[in-house]
Amino acid sequence: MKQHIYKLLSDALPTVDFDRDFLFGELDSLGIATIMMLLERDFKIRLKVEDATPRNLRNIDSIVKMVETKLAEK
Amino acid sequence: MMTLEQSIALHASRTPDKIAVECAGDRITYGNLWNAIVERSEELKAAGLMENRPYVFRATQNIAFVVTYCAVHYLGAIAVPLENQALEMNFQAVRDEVESCSFAPDIVDILYTTGTTGKSKGVMLSETALTSCADNFICDMHFTPELLFIISGPLNHIASLFKMHPVLTVGGTVCILDGLKDMNAFFEVFNLNYNKFATFMVPASLRLIMQFSYEKLCSLADKIDFIETGAAPITQTDMELLAKALPHSRLYNTLGGTEIGAVCTYDFNDGRHMEGCIGRPMKNSTVEVTEDGSIIVSGKTIMSGYVADPESTAKVLQNGKIYGADLGYVDGEGLIHLTGRRGDIINVGGFKVNPVEVENAAASHPAVKDCICIAAQHPVIGTVLKLLVVLSEGAELDKRSIALHIKERLDSFKVPTYYEAVDAIRRTYNGKPDRKYYQK
Repeated sequence: MKQHIYKLLSDALPTVDFDRDFLFGELDSLGIATIMMLLERDFKIRLKVEDATPRNLRNIDSIVKMVETKLAEK
Repeated sequence: MMTLEQSIALHASRTPDKIAVECAGDRITYGNLWNAIVERSEELKAAGLMENRPYVFRATQNIAFVVTYCAVHYLGAIAVPLENQALEMNFQAVRDEVESCSFAPDIVDILYTTGTTGKSKGVMLSETALTSCADNFICDMHFTPELLFIISGPLNHIASLFKMHPVLTVGGTVCILDGLKDMNAFFEVFNLNYNKFATFMVPASLRLIMQFSYEKLCSLADKIDFIETGAAPITQTDMELLAKALPHSRLYNTLGGTEIGAVCTYDFNDGRHMEGCIGRPMKNSTVEVTEDGSIIVSGKTIMSGYVADPESTAKVLQNGKIYGADLGYVDGEGLIHLTGRRGDIINVGGFKVNPVEVENAAASHPAVKDCICIAAQHPVIGTVLKLLVVLSEGAELDKRSIALHIKERLDSFKVPTYYEAVDAIRRTYNGKPDRKYYQK
């Protein structure tokens, strides 16, 4: 799943370095919206504004963890 | 009408303990704001800043920015705020440009914008333009002292900077956010102890809020006095959704621009939600629509001209009227409707991008043999940039490499979101990229 999310997000946001440990600092509102929207569509999960936190979007591992949590809640 | 600084001084004497600015847990009263402005102006003076000379600084989205901006005016100098993330070479280029010029005595602000032509230009604004623009907002949108106005956009941009003026002029409170990427921070503002809230958001940001936090927005219906949008078209669907969430709030669609100021506005929470409608001219503005649909703006809010560019100024500003790129018509009720823009400029979330600038930056990448920058639709954000690339012999499409190459040369909003390899770029008979073909 990590590789899939990495490719999905890297393709959509080519200027963002998804190997970084503090992604949230690098993203702008367009980047965050793009990540949320792509994850919603690809994994058919529902994300809310409360999910777009610096903790959830800290790095690729925390994004994977957020998706796994949402999938488990479905 | 009083200047912004005179108004702040007045509120500092009458209501010194009232909060003037809130920002990320920090806050400053009118009394302390005025003291800080006077102190900062002394510092700037000691550093050599003189009356009628420009001061270039970054829009840092905090209280210090408000203090410096007002201190520059208080000193009689000219404020030149640039994007906080502006590349150092662009910062230096602007500083070199403005420091080599002399200015009319009434110029108080220079705002750099892509504007109607696509090339970055310094728009010179007089004290009259600033106060008249604030007066337009106060009279037509009813800014009041009990209002907390949330500014989430960049403070070097007229849509945000010129909201500070009416709010602080009437003695209200400004709340500055560093963008909207932390949407939770935006919603936390509504927990502050104020009765009436208002904000400006470009349509892309409104869509973002509605996409990911519609229920939360609905829960704020009794607190939101008004929301203003503008700088890019808002769809009827988004207008309807917003009106449904906030049935009692005023929802404005405004025509504004750095060259023209805030000119017309329309409260689309009128049951009709007319897409493209910008209402009627505000108090200090006059709008004419010619037979061919060109929108011409005059009145007290318009610019004085472009910095060091009389040729471009003469193209846009003639006999006290601004001939911009907006097209529209007037309906039977006298309401003005926008139908589009003339020219090749692409509007990305309110930022105007000249595609040629992007193409020139991309062309120096070794993998790019030819390219064209076009508008594309993003399902949430709306209009974004797309680069169609003809690759050099043997090269592969490395989106990240091209995107970073452009980012090193241009501001971040000019970096395309989408990339696609194509066999050839279609051109017109005189060799220019056939933009009309790609707009279809």
